[in-house]
Amino acid sequence: MCKDYVYDKDIEQIAKEEQGEALKLQASTSSEVSPQQCSVPGLGERYPTWETTKPELELLGHNPRRRRIASSFTIGLRGLINLGNTCFMNCIVQALTHTPILRDFFLSDRHRCEMPSPELCLVCEMSSLFRELYSGNPSPHVPYKLLHLVWIHARHLAGYRQQDAHEFLIAALDVLHRHCKGDDVGKAANNPNHCNCIIDQIFTGGLQSDVTCQACHGVSTTIDPCWDISLDLPGSCTSFWPMSPGRESGVNGESHIPGITTLTDCLRRFTRPEHLGSSAKIKCGSCQSYQESTKQLTMNKLPVVACFHFKRFEHSAKQRRKITTYISFPLELDMTPFMASSKESRMNGQLQLPTNSGNNENKYSLFAVVNHQGTLESGHYTSFIRHHKDQWFKCDDAVITKASIKDVLDSEGYLLFYHKQVPEHESEKVKEMNTQAY
Amino acid sequence: MKMEEMSLSGLDNSKLEAIAQEIYADLVEDSCLGFCFEVHRAVKCGYFFLDDTDPDSMKDFEIVDQPGLDIFGQVFNQWKSKECVCPNCSRSIAASRFAPHLEKCLGMGRNSSRIANRRIANSNNMNKSESDQEDNDDINDNDWSYGSEKKAKKRKSDKNPNSPRRSKSLKHKNGELSNSDPFKYSNSTGISYETLGPEELRSLLTTQCGVISEHTKKMCTRSLRCPQHTDEQRRTVRIYFLGSSAVLPEVESSLDNDSFDMTDSQALISRLQWDGSSDLSPSDSGSSKTSENQGWGLGTNNSESRKTKKKKSHLSLVGTASGLGSNKKKKPKPPAPPTPSIYDDIN
Repeated sequence: MCKDYVYDKDIEQIAKEEQGEALKLQASTSSEVSPQQCSVPGLGERYPTWETTKPELELLGHNPRRRRIASSFTIGLRGLINLGNTCFMNCIVQALTHTPILRDFFLSDRHRCEMPSPELCLVCEMSSLFRELYSGNPSPHVPYKLLHLVWIHARHLAGYRQQDAHEFLIAALDVLHRHCKGDDVGKAANNPNHCNCIIDQIFTGGLQSDVTCQACHGVSTTIDPCWDISLDLPGSCTSFWPMSPGRESGVNGESHIPGITTLTDCLRRFTRPEHLGSSAKIKCGSCQSYQESTKQLTMNKLPVVACFHFKRFEHSAKQRRKITTYISFPLELDMTPFMASSKESRMNGQLQLPTNSGNNENKYSLFAVVNHQGTLESGHYTSFIRHHKDQWFKCDDAVITKASIKDVLDSEGYLLFYHKQVPEHESEKVKEMNTQAY
Repeated sequence: MKMEEMSLSGLDNSKLEAIAQEIYADLVEDSCLGFCFEVHRAVKCGYFFLDDTDPDSMKDFEIVDQPGLDIFGQVFNQWKSKECVCPNCSRSIAASRFAPHLEKCLGMGRNSSRIANRRIANSNNMNKSESDQEDNDDINDNDWSYGSEKKAKKRKSDKNPNSPRRSKSLKHKNGELSNSDPFKYSNSTGISYETLGPEELRSLLTTQCGVISEHTKKMCTRSLRCPQHTDEQRRTVRIYFLGSSAVLPEVESSLDNDSFDMTDSQALISRLQWDGSSDLSPSDSGSSKTSENQGWGLGTNNSESRKTKKKKSHLSLVGTASGLGSNKKKKPKPPAPPTPSIYDDIN
């Protein structure tokens, strides 16, 4: 005997079945099953790794060509033809198709269409877009079907003219969210708090607004779902943020050059307690009187993918202009100081957190940047996409070229897309959702 | 085992070494064994090398990083000839012109309503067969093709039936009709008689021509003296719907004649404001798309003119007249009849 290990198919089959039975038994008796044993969707099920069967082996042997998503391969990158002022759409498509979790969802064909007519389903079209963009085809794709569907479903965007990429992003997410549920008008479709579609799982965060009565210090809290965070910029007329030399940063390792505003600065300003003037007195719930109050915004629940939008296009009564101030943004971002749970420490003046706070849950990595060149009336959108760790590409409609990290970080920045470094596990997320006061 | 039996103090270095080695080997084995088994299994079952990328693919998909070329090694700006098929009209359109085409195709742009009204006016003006009218218009409107209108018709049902323009148009129509379902008007400005009840039919037939078109199977909404149909036809329709006792209602003479009197219209044009056309065209893309409906286009306005004051009847003239004006100028560049400035305001 050769004393080698052998693998017998029949015995393995029996073993697999028995394991499945055992798992089901275990699941029904205990409420907690360890993450290693169960993946999505239900407890008691197990996703074994795929193993080839004999006929598959033969097939694969006869067809030796392979395509993989790997660094230095073009698979996953493809240009998009500009259909006439549609650069804003192309950039958002590039950002969405390179969102890792979304990519995994669509490439594993997880969408089950529930729309009455599938040819009008935007999620199906998204699915087909992923297939096209990951096909390895070097000639650019023509996203005419996408444009048509968006115009049908988001009529406020329909029309041949230059449009705002951020507006398009929100409208697209909204339509995708609706179509994930088959576009019904039930509670699930309209209420992002209860929706469990892939869009909500990935993009929806919770923005907490606390209004503190100045008299009795009673706090009234509301939490609203949000898909993005829109940040005011220094020098804007509407938000009264005068240009000033940069403050201390260093929380997120951004370049600490005086005079340069950073993303962290903007976030800090976004989450600062704001004194609502005497003209905006609110009736306090606890002391029952009209008092002045302070309002503060913080993040209650962080989304898996966070989108930051710089409010560069100003439409005030006096003027309409674009704020072109350069804002420095980091490759990695820690959102811990901006969370609702960190409010205590902020009020005590501590903003710096130890770098090894051990809390990786709030750390994010940049993966897409959308930029706008030009004026408010007429301009052009391009995007930078991270295809592999530290491999960035510039997407300018039909032309994709390699870009350096420096190119990305030096760009002006209009929309920034970050995704969590450690996505939470499903069951933990469910627990968290149940304990939140939505 | 050996270790349990001996006490550590009584050992010399070499024995300690041996024990340490053994522990080390155990640890390494523990950590590697799982992996080794995986590899062994993969080799045995034949799928170990299966997902390695073959050299051909590696060359094909390699990223190119040279100035002047994109990552696929292609030159920039060579994509002018890309084409796509419009989902609305099924024509092949140059990709970079798709957005403006789609806008016109769906009837959303500023120009669409202008073109639509020109068309209505055209068809009403010339009492030719419908096919001739299609030819005349389409030659100059490069977004449209002859055979596509049938498919284009489908799109109208996607239009928002609650758009303000649509409801506005209903207000101007006869009392009876303003209550009817907007969807009846969505596909054309003719009326689909299957959906009307007997009372509605009766009231309709007292004010409108009502002859059923062979093409659209819809009732004509023009006046009782509409020139496209004969009294005989009208009588037949009434008998068909209302029984043999049905009679053709008496017709008021004066206002009707105005509607079709071309010679007077031109004098009135320059003095009049047209604000009724917007009722029809942008949302009711029927008028902008199908030439079959051109017969009906002004029909609704005519019935409106009979009920409302004389001023309104003049409105229909403007539409006609602009058709007259534009008839002469069959150029690619849109002519400037008096009406477009008003469209701009509305749009």
